[in-house]
Amino acid sequence: MHNETMILKHPLRVRIFHYLLIISFLPLALTGLALYFKPFAEDNMNLIMQIHIVTGGILSLDAAAFFLIGFERVILFIKRMFTISINDVKWFSVLGGYPQKFLFKKKVPVPPMGKYNSGQKLFGMCVLIGGAILIGTGWILWAFPHNLPRAAVAFMGSLHTFFGLLLTLFLPVHLFLGVYMFDDFKAMILSGKIPYHDAQSTSPLWVEREVMPLK
Amino acid sequence: MENNEYQYTESPFNVSRRQFITIGGIVVALLALPVVWVKYLATSRNDYILARTKGLYRDDEKAKIRVSHANPAVAQYYKDFGGKPLGGLSEELLHTKYINRTKGLS
Amino acid sequence: MSRAVKTYQRGEIPGVIAINSSLCKGCDACKRHCPTGAIQGMFGAVHSIDVDRCLNCAQCLINCPFGAPYETSDAVDGVIAKLKDRSFTVAGIIAPAVRVAIGEDFGMPVGSLVTGKLYGAMKKAGFEILDNNFTADLTIMEEGSEFIQRARHAVFGEQGEHGAEIGPLPQFTSCCPAWVRFVETQYPALIPNLSSAKSPQQMAGAVAKTYGTKVWGKEANKIYTVGIMPCTAKKWEASRPEFKSAYEYHKHKGNTGTGTPYLDVDVVLTTRDLSRLFKKLNINLATEKEADGGTLLSEYTGAGTIFGNTGGVMEAALRTAYAVLTGEELKPLEFKKVRGLKGVKSAAVTLKDSKYNKEVTVQVAVVHGLAENIAPVVDEVLAGRSPYHFIEVMNCPGGCINGGGQPIQGGGSSWLGAVLPWFAWK
Repeated sequence: MHNETMILKHPLRVRIFHYLLIISFLPLALTGLALYFKPFAEDNMNLIMQIHIVTGGILSLDAAAFFLIGFERVILFIKRMFTISINDVKWFSVLGGYPQKFLFKKKVPVPPMGKYNSGQKLFGMCVLIGGAILIGTGWILWAFPHNLPRAAVAFMGSLHTFFGLLLTLFLPVHLFLGVYMFDDFKAMILSGKIPYHDAQSTSPLWVEREVMPLK
Repeated sequence: MENNEYQYTESPFNVSRRQFITIGGIVVALLALPVVWVKYLATSRNDYILARTKGLYRDDEKAKIRVSHANPAVAQYYKDFGGKPLGGLSEELLHTKYINRTKGLS
Repeated sequence: MSRAVKTYQRGEIPGVIAINSSLCKGCDACKRHCPTGAIQGMFGAVHSIDVDRCLNCAQCLINCPFGAPYETSDAVDGVIAKLKDRSFTVAGIIAPAVRVAIGEDFGMPVGSLVTGKLYGAMKKAGFEILDNNFTADLTIMEEGSEFIQRARHAVFGEQGEHGAEIGPLPQFTSCCPAWVRFVETQYPALIPNLSSAKSPQQMAGAVAKTYGTKVWGKEANKIYTVGIMPCTAKKWEASRPEFKSAYEYHKHKGNTGTGTPYLDVDVVLTTRDLSRLFKKLNINLATEKEADGGTLLSEYTGAGTIFGNTGGVMEAALRTAYAVLTGEELKPLEFKKVRGLKGVKSAAVTLKDSKYNKEVTVQVAVVHGLAENIAPVVDEVLAGRSPYHFIEVMNCPGGCINGGGQPIQGGGSSWLGAVLPWFAWK
């Protein structure tokens, strides 16, 4: 491991942004489900709502701060998420090879991918669009439900519910695959670095076009 | 954490001034749209109340008689039956008493 | 209702509004529209209504984004049955606010004045028309005379006929049942200040079953009175057990048509209820031909019709009080100072009392939107510091036209003040 060639995949500020996402979004998803299904009694529902609001605030500040501090990174991220090609269609037609690997232990050829594979791009699109909508509608639902027209507030409630459920359903997939790809897990959560060799097999187009040796 | 060495990194990604302004413009536009929409919702929220208010004042403006004491039907009621305001049958039929509900009722 | 209710008389409907727990999100929007803090439940938890604090005004219902509050009493099918029963005369008592809103339930523009079509639709359904604007004019005669009596007593020491006790100033209007219930449950010390005049709806019920027997040629117990109101609190008001004046009247006179006691107003339909009734009977109000009311009980003046707006009752009362006191008509008739959506409006009218040949200045105030605006006004009166002689109070922001029984406007909100954020926590 110590002699392996490493690429810096996620610089520190990116990892800090992601840590804050973890501590805010996980409680948001869980409290969001509880607020939707309302399984608990009154005092607990109020506490759950308070947690939802505090973590919502953290998420909003995190997103806003990173947008200002890491503006170029954010633009690059958006660019990567929304650049799609025929390779992405082909990737989805074999579901990235994951079901075959888990269920049948078969290795299936996948088209070459960039830094993010097609599934990650789909998740990224959902997070970018859904996240922005959740933050916007969330603030309005908290602060203005009584003085804006009721149909508009109800619509925002529906948007908030839809994207909330969407991201909450996608979340376990992200958590599972994020841990399963253990080198990537270590890169995002710990050191920021990924072995060159592994990057070449999972993200060949990225290594080829966007990675350069340190001077 | 970055004391361990790494040999490769991502190529720099820079946004030119022109691109920055374009992107900034798009971001502002995307943010401005919902803000403008919400502001419109807020400022138009009482319009339905004003429309109904106007409807009733219009009903008043086009009425042939616009003061209660000149309503011939009301005069007929008093003449035929009611007597006069505060008199005749008014106390019995048209006036009431109120209840102190802080005392706990059955 | 099994829970102990402490502020309702036997026979009254205890809790016209309730909250559907499966729709409530606990967002607290309703709490900010409630004039009495009757909505229970912490922020984020399912809410419920404390019926002893509730005024039955339904401002929560028309403003909830998720449609959680609902009405517990629905008389539509009962009214349809009575309409089909030929032995009954069913009199519909139409409030002013209904005629500028019911069109909305039939695709017409907001605020369309549809009196003629409404009459036509009601007649087609089998109603006789008793326009509440006629009784609004009657209310002005009674309440205006009462105000003049109180004022002349306060200013000139004039005594009442037969030594009857005369009420104090300021006089409050009493046509809004939510406001009346507010006084009865929170400010009973102000009861003497409430006008003793009934609301136009209740006058209509009493008149329908006494004078109306001559107009329609029907026995009192065969006249079925249906209030058609922009207001859910009127459902509760009609159920007040003391409101059987017509029955008592006939009993005293030894008339036939007594037997089982009957209320002056048998049942109340909101504007929304009436729209549903029409739709159940396949009547499309929008395409109805204009009709007229048919009897003198539907003849009204401009003063009566503006009762539905905040300031309307005051303006109507001033038009008549001015004429009675001075002997001349008010010019111009439009009293713009009491119009508009400001929470508390006030005006001064200087006039010459022709009976005493003296100039007096009458200070009037108009309050609407009880939740936000009533506290300083009533506190001032309780402290003896009120500068006003006559105060009109309407619970609903904008007046009855924005009542809890009106068609729901998704693009609107009852919130009149600045749109400021409110960060609920508990």
